[in-house]
Amino acid sequence: MEGSPRRTALRRLRGDRGAIAGLVLFAAIVVFVLAAPLWANHVADTGPNATHTTEKVEVDGEPREVVSVEGKPVGPLWLGAGGKFFLGADGRLGRDEMVRLMYGGRTSLFISLTASLIATLSALALALLAGWFRGRVDAVISFLLDVIWAFPVLLLGIALGTALAVGGLQLGPLSISAGSIWIPTLIGAFVFAAYIARPLRGEVLALREQEFVKAAVAGGAGSGRVMLGELLPNLVPTAIVLFTVNVANMMLLEAGLSFLGAGVQAPDASWGTMIAGGFEQIVSSPRLMILPSTMIFLTVLSLNLIGDGLGTALNPRSRATTEAHTGRFEAEYEGA
Amino acid sequence: MSAFLLKRLARMLGVLFVISVAVFLIFNVMPNEPAAQIAGKSATPQLIAQVEETWGFDEPLPEQYLTVMKLTFTGELVSYTRQLDVDEEIWKGLPATLSLCLGAAVIWLLLAIVFGYLSAFRAGKATDRVLMLVSLISISLPIFLVSSLALNYLSYKLELFPSSGYVGITEDPLDWAYHLILPWTTMAVLFVGLYARVLRANLLEVMDEDYVRTARAKGLGERQVRIRHVLRNALLPIVTLFGLDFAALIGGAAIITEYIFSLGGIGQLTANAVADLDLPPVMALSMLAAFFVVVLNTLVDIAYTWLDPRIKLERAQ
Amino acid sequence: MRKLGAVLVVCGAIAASAIGVAGCGSSSSGKEGGTLKVSFVAGADYLDPQLSYFAEGWSSMYNTYLPLLTYAHAEGDAGNEVIPALAEDLPTISKDGKTYELTLRKGLKYSDGKPIKASDFKATIERLFEVESPGIPFFTDIVGAEDFLEGKAKEIAGIETDDETGQITIRLVRPRGPFVNELATPFAAVVPPGTPAKDQTPNPPPATGPYEIVESNPGRSWSYRRNPEWARNNAKLMPDLPSGHVDRIEAKVVSNDSTQVNEIEQGDANWMFDPLPPDQVAEVRARFEGTQYRTVPSNSTYYFWMNTTRPPFDDVKVRQAVNHALDPAALERINAGEITSTQQVLPPAIPGYEQFELYPHDVKKAKELIAEADPADRDVTVWTLNISPNDDAAAYYQDVLNKLGFDAELKTVNANSYFTVIGNPSTPDLDTGWINFFQDYPHPDDFFRALDGANISSVNNVNLAQFDDPKVNAKIQELAEQQLGPEQEAEYAELDREVMEQAPWAPYGNRSLSLFVSDDIDFDEVIWSPTFAGDLTSFQFK
Repeated sequence: MEGSPRRTALRRLRGDRGAIAGLVLFAAIVVFVLAAPLWANHVADTGPNATHTTEKVEVDGEPREVVSVEGKPVGPLWLGAGGKFFLGADGRLGRDEMVRLMYGGRTSLFISLTASLIATLSALALALLAGWFRGRVDAVISFLLDVIWAFPVLLLGIALGTALAVGGLQLGPLSISAGSIWIPTLIGAFVFAAYIARPLRGEVLALREQEFVKAAVAGGAGSGRVMLGELLPNLVPTAIVLFTVNVANMMLLEAGLSFLGAGVQAPDASWGTMIAGGFEQIVSSPRLMILPSTMIFLTVLSLNLIGDGLGTALNPRSRATTEAHTGRFEAEYEGA
Repeated sequence: MSAFLLKRLARMLGVLFVISVAVFLIFNVMPNEPAAQIAGKSATPQLIAQVEETWGFDEPLPEQYLTVMKLTFTGELVSYTRQLDVDEEIWKGLPATLSLCLGAAVIWLLLAIVFGYLSAFRAGKATDRVLMLVSLISISLPIFLVSSLALNYLSYKLELFPSSGYVGITEDPLDWAYHLILPWTTMAVLFVGLYARVLRANLLEVMDEDYVRTARAKGLGERQVRIRHVLRNALLPIVTLFGLDFAALIGGAAIITEYIFSLGGIGQLTANAVADLDLPPVMALSMLAAFFVVVLNTLVDIAYTWLDPRIKLERAQ
Repeated sequence: MRKLGAVLVVCGAIAASAIGVAGCGSSSSGKEGGTLKVSFVAGADYLDPQLSYFAEGWSSMYNTYLPLLTYAHAEGDAGNEVIPALAEDLPTISKDGKTYELTLRKGLKYSDGKPIKASDFKATIERLFEVESPGIPFFTDIVGAEDFLEGKAKEIAGIETDDETGQITIRLVRPRGPFVNELATPFAAVVPPGTPAKDQTPNPPPATGPYEIVESNPGRSWSYRRNPEWARNNAKLMPDLPSGHVDRIEAKVVSNDSTQVNEIEQGDANWMFDPLPPDQVAEVRARFEGTQYRTVPSNSTYYFWMNTTRPPFDDVKVRQAVNHALDPAALERINAGEITSTQQVLPPAIPGYEQFELYPHDVKKAKELIAEADPADRDVTVWTLNISPNDDAAAYYQDVLNKLGFDAELKTVNANSYFTVIGNPSTPDLDTGWINFFQDYPHPDDFFRALDGANISSVNNVNLAQFDDPKVNAKIQELAEQQLGPEQEAEYAELDREVMEQAPWAPYGNRSLSLFVSDDIDFDEVIWSPTFAGDLTSFQFK
C-alpha cells in the first residue's frame, strides 16, 4: 500500500538531486542576505546608503581614494582593508558594494516573496470563484484576467513610479508613501495574479468533474465547503510550484521596474537598482552590473530547480506546471 | 460555434476598451502637464493656456478621451513631444522589431526542437541532464546582462559585430543579418531553455499516448514514429505558446534589446514614449499590443478547445 | 574650382577681420570635401528654427538658417560676440533703447533660388507666434506682439519693413538689454514667407546658410549637403561667415551612449554631439586627450535651489550652512571630473562674471550655523530627476543634509516630468532640489531671470527658490533695460555677490562638455561654439 501522497512527494523530492542543490543554493543566498547587518556593522563599518566619495581607505598601509577624481570607484579590495569595500565601491558615490549587495538582496527577496504570496493567494481565490461558479462570475473574472494580461505593464510601472514619487497613494484607509517598496510589490502582485490564475482555473475546471467533488456535492456540501474543503487542498501542490516559479519571475520584474525608475527608489539598494546603476558603468566597471545580475541569476536558478523538483514530486505530469513556465515568459518580458 | 465566436469578439472589444480607458486615466492622473511641455520651459501661463486650447487639453476628460480614440482609429494621432505622426513612426519602426523578434524566434525554436527532442528521447540519460541544465541556466539569465555583456565584449572590445543600427533587408540582406546576429543570439539564448523544457514535457506526455503505440505496432520505423507522430503532435502547443509570447515579446524583451543595440524599432519607440509621458504614441502602441495579445489569446483558447476536449470552455454553458 | 575660390576669399576675410576662427590661415593641410558623420543620443527636437529649443536643434541649424544677426564662429569669449549675418550691420539702437534699425543685405537668396526680402523677417517673427514657439517670451516686448499672439491683430505693428531699401525697424514696448542676443537666436532665423505655421521638421524650409538639410527622418536621422546658393551668391555677401569644408553631413540618432563612443573610436562616426558618458571619461581622456578629445566649457550653472518660503530654508543661516557643507571635491568626482566648482550665479564666460568665495568648504562652520539657526522643522525633501550623474549629485546632497542633522528624503522624478513638477509651487514638500541652467544666449539677464521675484509663476516656475527681494528685483529689471557695457558688467558682478550673500541657491559647478572626434578629423581646426556646440563648418578631414 502506498504511503500518503505527501510522503511520496517528500521521498521523490529527497531523491531529486537538482531540487536539493536548489534548496541548498537558495538557503545559502538567504543566509547571505540575512547576514547584512552583521557584515555592515562589524566588518565594513558602514551602511548601504552612506557615501564615501572623498574618503580614502587604507590598503596594506597605503591610502587609496575610494573614488578617483575622474569618478572611477575603487575595485574589490577583498580583505585588504579588513573587509571594507570587499567588493569595491559602487560608483561615484563611493558606497560599499558588498554591503549594498547584501541589503539589496533583502529588499529584492522581500519584494519577490511578498508579491508572489499576494499573487498566489489572490489567484487561488479568483480561480476557485471562476472555476467553481462558472457562468457570470467566471465571465467577469476571466475578462479581468484578460485585461491584466494585455495590460501595458511598462506604462503602469512608470506612471505609478512618477505619480507616487510626488505624492504617495491614498486609497481610502490605505496609504502608501512615495518611494515605498510596496509599489513594485503591488505592481508585481497585480501582474502575476493574472498569470497564475489562468492555469489554476484550468485545474479547477478539471477537478470539478472528478468523482470526489461530485460526491461532496451529492452529500450536501455548500459551495464554500467544496471550494475550501475539496478543491483548495488539491490546488495547493500546483499553487506551491507556481509560487516558487513566480518568486523567480518577480525578481526579474523588480529588476526591470527598478531599471525604469518605477521600482525601489534611489538611494535605497535592491538588486534591480544596482543593476540599473551598474548598467551605466558597464564599460569601466563591469562588476557593478555583473554582481547583482549574478545574484539574481543564482536565486532564479535555485528557485527554478526547487520548482522543478516540487513539480515532479507533487504532480509528475501536471500541465499546469508547464503553463507556469509560460506565465513566466510574459511576466519577465512585459515588465523588463 | 458562432455564438462562441461572437462572445469572444465582444469580450475582445471589451478588453480593448477597458485598456484604452485605463491608459488614458493613468496618463491623466499623473502629475504631467503636456501643455507645459509642448509650450517649452520659458512659456508663460498665457502661452500654456493657448497651447491647451489648441490641443484640447482644457476640454472635460471624457471628451478628450473620445478625441484621442478618434485620432487613433483614423490614423491621425500626433505625438506631444515632437508633433510627429504616430502611425508613421510605428510603421518605420516595425521592420526592425519584426526582424528582431521573428529572426530570434526562428533560431530559438529550431534549437529548442533539437534540444527538446534529444532530451525527451534520451530521458534520464546524460544528454538529457546536460541539455536540461543548459535550459535551466538559459531561463534564469537576466536579459540586460546577456545583451550588455555581448555588446561590451563581442562588439566593443573584439569588434566582431557592429554595435548599432538596423539595415533594411531590402537594402542589403547580408548587412541586415550582420547587424542582427548579436541581438538575435542574445534573445535566443534566453528563450531556448523555456521552449526546450516545454517541448520535452510535451513529448514525454505524447510518447505514451495510444496512437503512438498503434503507429509502432503498425511497424513504422522508430524515427518515423518519433518525428511524424510524437514530435508533430507535441509541437502544436509550442506553436500556440509562441503565439501568446510573441505579443508580450514585443512589449518586453524587444525593448531592452532594441535600446542596447540602438535598433530603433517600436520597442524603443514605446520605451521612449512612456518615459516622455507622451500619450498619443503610448495609446496607439498599447492598443496595438493589447490587440495582439487579446487576438492571439482568443485563437489559443479556440485551439485548445479543439485539441483538448477535456477542457470545455464557454461551450459547456 | 569656384568652390575653392570662395573658400580662399572667406579665409582671407576672416583672417583680416581677426574674429579668431582657427585654422583658415594656419598650416591646415586638411582636405576639402568628404561626408561628416555625426551621432546624437536624442535627435534634434525640431529642425524648424522657430520651434527648436534644445541644443541639438540649435547646433544642427546654426549653419543652415541664418537670422539677421548671428554669433561669431569662435570659441570661448570670442564666440559670445554677436556679428551681422543677413543684416548689413549690428542694429542702430535709439537713445531710449526702444527702437532698433537694421538693413537687410541686398541680393541674398534662399537655397531654392528665391530672393530674401526684408518683409520675410516680419513674416518669420509672426510665424514664431503662430506656431506657439517656446521662444515667444523673448519677443513679446515688440509693440503689437501681444495683440498678435492673442489674435487681436492681423500683424505685428511694431515691425516695419521696406523691401526696396531692405530697411527693418523694430519698436519695443520697453528697452530690452538682451534683445540683440535674442535676434541672433535661431528663433529669429529668416524663413520664406508662406512657410506653414506648423512644425516643418519632416520637410525643413529652404536654407540661407552654407549647408542645407536635404533629408529628414525626425528622431532618427537627417542629412545636409552644401547649399548651392551659398557658393553662388550668399557667401560673397557675407564674407565673414565660414563656408564649411565637408560636402555632406549625415546625422543619426544612436540611443546607446556607449555605442556613440565606440563608433568614434572605430571611425564609424566622426563626431558625437553628446558629452561622454561619465563612465568612460577616464578611459577616453587617457587615450585621446589632445589628439581626439578635449573638454570644452559650457555656459551653464548647476545648483541646488532652496525654497526660501518654507522652513528650514527660510532661514538664511541654514542656506549658508548648506553652501559651506557641500564639498566641491565630492561633486567633482560625482561628475567624473567634468565640472568646475563655482559658487556664483553666473558662469565664467558670461559678461559680468567675477569670482569670489563667500562659503569656503567648512563642515564645522556649517554645523555651527545650523546650531545657531536651530530649525524646528528638520524634515527635508530633496528633489531630483533620474539622469546620471545629476541624480547621484542629489543623493550626495541628501547625505550631506543628513550629516548636518536633517532628516532628508530623496524624491526622484522622471526627467520629462521633472521641470513641470518642481515648476509648480503648489507641489507638496517642495523644499530643495537639483537643477541646471544652460544659457539661452550669453547675457547675464538670462541667468538672473530665475532670481527675479516678478518671475515666480504658478506653472513652469523658473524662480525655484521663490526668492523675492524687492531690491534685487528692481536691480535685475533695471539692468535688463540697459545695453551691456563695462558699467553694467560691474553691476552684474555686484548683484551676483549680493544674491549669494542671501544664498537662495547652492551653486556647485559649471559643466564642461566634451569634444571627441574620430582620428581622421583635423582636431585642431574644430571650433566649439559656446551657444551652438560643435560648429559644423569647422570640421574637416585630415
